[in-house]
Amino acid sequence: MAIPLQPIELPDEVPVGPIIGPEENLTTVTDKLAGIVLRRKTGYGWLMGFGLAFCGTMMLLMAMTYLFLKGTGIWGINMPVAWGFAIVNFVWWIGIGHAGTLISAILLLLNQSWRNAINRYAEAMTLFAVACAGLFPIMHMGRAWLAYWLLPYPNTMQLWPQFRSPLDWDVFAVSTYATISLVFWYVGLIPDAASLRDQAEHRWQQVVYGIMALGWRGSARHWQRYEKASLLLAGLATPLVLSVHTVVSFDFAVAIIPGWHTTIFPPYFVAGAVYSGFAMVLTLMIPVRKFYHLESLVTMRHINNMAKVMLTTGLIVGYGYMMEAFFSWYSTNTYEGFMYWNRMTGPYAPYFWCLIFCNIITPQFLWIKRVRTNLIILWIVSIIVNIGMWLERFVIVITSLHRDFLPSSWGMYYPTAWDWAIYIGTLGLFMTLIYLFMRAIPMITIHELRVLVPGGVRSPQPVQPQPVKNI
Amino acid sequence: MIADNPYTLSPAAVNDLRKHQSTALIVGIVGMLAMVVGFFLTEHGQFMRSYLVGFMFWTGTAMGCLALMMIQYMSGGAWGMMIRRSLEAGSRTIPLMMLLVIPILAGVTVLYPWAFPGADHLKAVHDKRLYLNVPFFVARAILFFGVWCLLMFLLNRWSLEQDRTGDINLARKLEKLSGPGIVIYAFTMTFAVTDWVMSLDPTWFSTVYGLLLCVGQCLSALATIVAVLILMADKPPLAGLITKRHLHDLGKLMLALTMLWAYLSFSQLILIWSGNLPEEISYYINRLNGGWEWVGGILLAFHFGFPFLLLLSQALKKNPKTLRIIACYIIVIRIVDVFWLVEPNFNKAHFQLHWLDLAAPIGIGGLWFSYFFYQLRQRPILPVNAPDLEKALNHGRHH
Repeated sequence: MAIPLQPIELPDEVPVGPIIGPEENLTTVTDKLAGIVLRRKTGYGWLMGFGLAFCGTMMLLMAMTYLFLKGTGIWGINMPVAWGFAIVNFVWWIGIGHAGTLISAILLLLNQSWRNAINRYAEAMTLFAVACAGLFPIMHMGRAWLAYWLLPYPNTMQLWPQFRSPLDWDVFAVSTYATISLVFWYVGLIPDAASLRDQAEHRWQQVVYGIMALGWRGSARHWQRYEKASLLLAGLATPLVLSVHTVVSFDFAVAIIPGWHTTIFPPYFVAGAVYSGFAMVLTLMIPVRKFYHLESLVTMRHINNMAKVMLTTGLIVGYGYMMEAFFSWYSTNTYEGFMYWNRMTGPYAPYFWCLIFCNIITPQFLWIKRVRTNLIILWIVSIIVNIGMWLERFVIVITSLHRDFLPSSWGMYYPTAWDWAIYIGTLGLFMTLIYLFMRAIPMITIHELRVLVPGGVRSPQPVQPQPVKNI
Repeated sequence: MIADNPYTLSPAAVNDLRKHQSTALIVGIVGMLAMVVGFFLTEHGQFMRSYLVGFMFWTGTAMGCLALMMIQYMSGGAWGMMIRRSLEAGSRTIPLMMLLVIPILAGVTVLYPWAFPGADHLKAVHDKRLYLNVPFFVARAILFFGVWCLLMFLLNRWSLEQDRTGDINLARKLEKLSGPGIVIYAFTMTFAVTDWVMSLDPTWFSTVYGLLLCVGQCLSALATIVAVLILMADKPPLAGLITKRHLHDLGKLMLALTMLWAYLSFSQLILIWSGNLPEEISYYINRLNGGWEWVGGILLAFHFGFPFLLLLSQALKKNPKTLRIIACYIIVIRIVDVFWLVEPNFNKAHFQLHWLDLAAPIGIGGLWFSYFFYQLRQRPILPVNAPDLEKALNHGRHH
């Protein structure tokens, strides 16, 4: 019973809506994006932003130096709350680092061509976020110079990591993720580096971008291998998106602490990660597209789609909260029940209710299309979600530890100035890297947009201005 | 039916569906007769449990159709357009399942340990009596089915209206209802499976359980629909309309759901196993001892490993013959999964397969399929006025 493939007479393909503005063509796309890097003068806005972020980086370096001199005693952690800001921030940053690979890998596999305008930026953001995240476990060790003990290697001490601990799985999960993300990002960069090399006016630019381009000449064979490599890397990266935050959730859920040990954690952590990742992409993308006049490349369709992804993942997170709450009662376990009661009414209750407001109530506005397409409101929503996702990790880490089984061992956790300095410092580091990235590398993939414009390979031929279903 | 609709099922296709409908009806009636015999011959508890296996599987399939239908309205995509009408027909079997829930509600005190006479002195049952009590249980079942029927009714009606009028607002309305509809499905189904299956062991709980079963339902529904779609693909109007690309996409979706099922099952297993807490571990102690571990092993190898490997192959996904075999295979292994959810709660000492455990899923399945085929031939097989239909039909064609 074969299915014959007969051609059928049908009207032209219905336009899918503007992934790219109608005024763009092959030349304008290249000029606009390469021009930001090669010809645009370094403006005062960039200098000021970069300067501020760089101050944050310096603060981070200072705080880290003091930490390594004195030890983790300068932080607010102590028994019973032995996991404080470091773990909260680690999970927060790792979560943010999920949007990039999701956009570039999964959306590539799903043939979602709208990803083309945002994947480079989101992947860069992923790399920087993972870099910030990776600092925290190393700092948390106290003796950062022994960090290599985390890796299994034959040694005279007969010392091996504890392979049964998810904390050790984290080492492999995060480093694999960082490696694949970096390779994926770099592979996507090669054709654009060649474009920059060819357009560059200064000798040093030609040399630097020439080295980055690895001898790319744009031959058909190059492109064919490039496409194959991208697909393979996407296939490799997709399970990693799920695995990293699953392993992070195991860090908590494998322990038998009420509030940590619950089976919904893996999917709910992954959804939360994508949620915060998309929130961060929006937080950065909305101003950037305005300052660099990229409205016709990062269109309202992108913004709208990202808002929808945020709403979906936000709802999954909300489902997770509800399951936790219901089953803490349904379990009839004293400690489970107390854990949730303590979250709602205990000393950290304000954080809990703030979290509910930020993560559950705020995204409900995204049901409304007018909110999804109003840049200012959407930008505010995305920032609130970022805060909410930070609070979520704070509530999970702190409230479960500070009052566990024995009231005699209850305690409180107060972050110190050093905790804040390091947290804000990583924000500075993140922004510094983002500023450098925007200055040195085309923030939107030039060659992928060139196939989308009219006359490009994948453009819906002929493009007619027609009413658009989802803008 | 609309006379000039190009996607109205051809007489040959309708004839086929009629034949399938009668065959399924015969299977259903024979199965039902066997169950009546079983009701008088075996212990009532066993009858109820076997019945629950059949009821849960086919309710899950019907509800999976409803869920996938709402998902495809939200996500768009050619795969959804090709199976929309089949999903609609699947969702229209929900009233049948509503009828079939009556034996469960009538037999609560035989089936559920928390409702056994004198169960209240158990602490876990006593503490949960606010939620786990017979009147509330019945009221919830009625509420769930009411909500699902309402969703089903509106989505089916608007879709038919769209065929007739082509009003663009209907597409928007369908989308607008589907978003909240998915949320409603997830929440109501979570509580429904908590009631109907999880509470078979009133002391045990798991927060991922609802999600796990929802994913299983979507997989059952997708496998059923793919099998039926390919069954109709050699007769007009579907012949020549379905491309290999459509089948490829549906196969990929089956692969994704298979993996998601495995991911959630594994998460639940590893967390409960490593935590090893008395109130949680009972679930796996029952299921990993006394012969039941073989069923678990079969699920690992043949609900995940085998279909995973098969569905990785592009050639197998694009070939209608092989894809249909895989889909049918998945339906069978899904029933084993539901069996594994229900039965080990009762036969703790050793593995036991009662003949009713086969008769019930087959009997209810016969009725279900018969009603499904009847519903399927009521409407044109593609939504003629859906906004993206042309694009969906062109999926996988170079022009």
